[in-house]
Amino acid sequence: MQIDSSRFGRLEVRDDTVLSFPDGLIGLPGTSYALVAQSERTPFYWLHSAEHADVAVPVTMPWLFFANYEVRVPDEDAARLLLSDPGAAEIFCVVRAAPDIADFTINLAGPVIVNTSRRIGRQIINAAGGYAVRQPLFAEVELNEVRADPVSMVVPATATT
Amino acid sequence: MLVITRKIGERVCIGDDIVVEVLDIVGSTVRLGIEAPASVPIFRHEIWLEIQAENRAAAEVSVDDLPATDPSSSS
Repeated sequence: MQIDSSRFGRLEVRDDTVLSFPDGLIGLPGTSYALVAQSERTPFYWLHSAEHADVAVPVTMPWLFFANYEVRVPDEDAARLLLSDPGAAEIFCVVRAAPDIADFTINLAGPVIVNTSRRIGRQIINAAGGYAVRQPLFAEVELNEVRADPVSMVVPATATT
Repeated sequence: MLVITRKIGERVCIGDDIVVEVLDIVGSTVRLGIEAPASVPIFRHEIWLEIQAENRAAAEVSVDDLPATDPSSSS
């Protein structure tokens, strides 16, 4: 399928990389998203709406930045994700970018859980409490220390037209 | 919305397995004790609003604000 993006133009996206978010992202429209990357080994992706050209949030894998981060998924959320095996989950956190990289923050309180085998996603409220909505991203590591491996289901941000 | 009045030590039952008890009232602050199955998510409403505001703010940023290339190869 194709995704129209106000940021990247028209993107060609394999159907099996489109993620269903039945309850959307909290406060944002749409129920269908894809992970879009601007380069192969970046730690940042865009969780991009397949329905709304201008709706996309930057996300990253929290453990790249916070090695001891914990997520507890409430049973009800796991049921909605059809998630019986925690190993089938990929976990992302929303990043608020800023012109100065020192001002980047990450939302550790509301992680996005993706059941990779069923391609269902859901943003949850982390039942492992005490995490901030706006945690400074580079509190523990520097950007040049981050080693991101390519993630499956990620779509390159290359416009087709 | 149901509105009911409770005193300290009094309880409200929600369904078969959720009990909310008023533990203490100090000024305008109420402390609640909640018994519920682990499967029932319980959270302060503000956290939901904060995540909503954070998502919307995160969606406002431009592509230029994200480091576009692999930081380990560019340094």
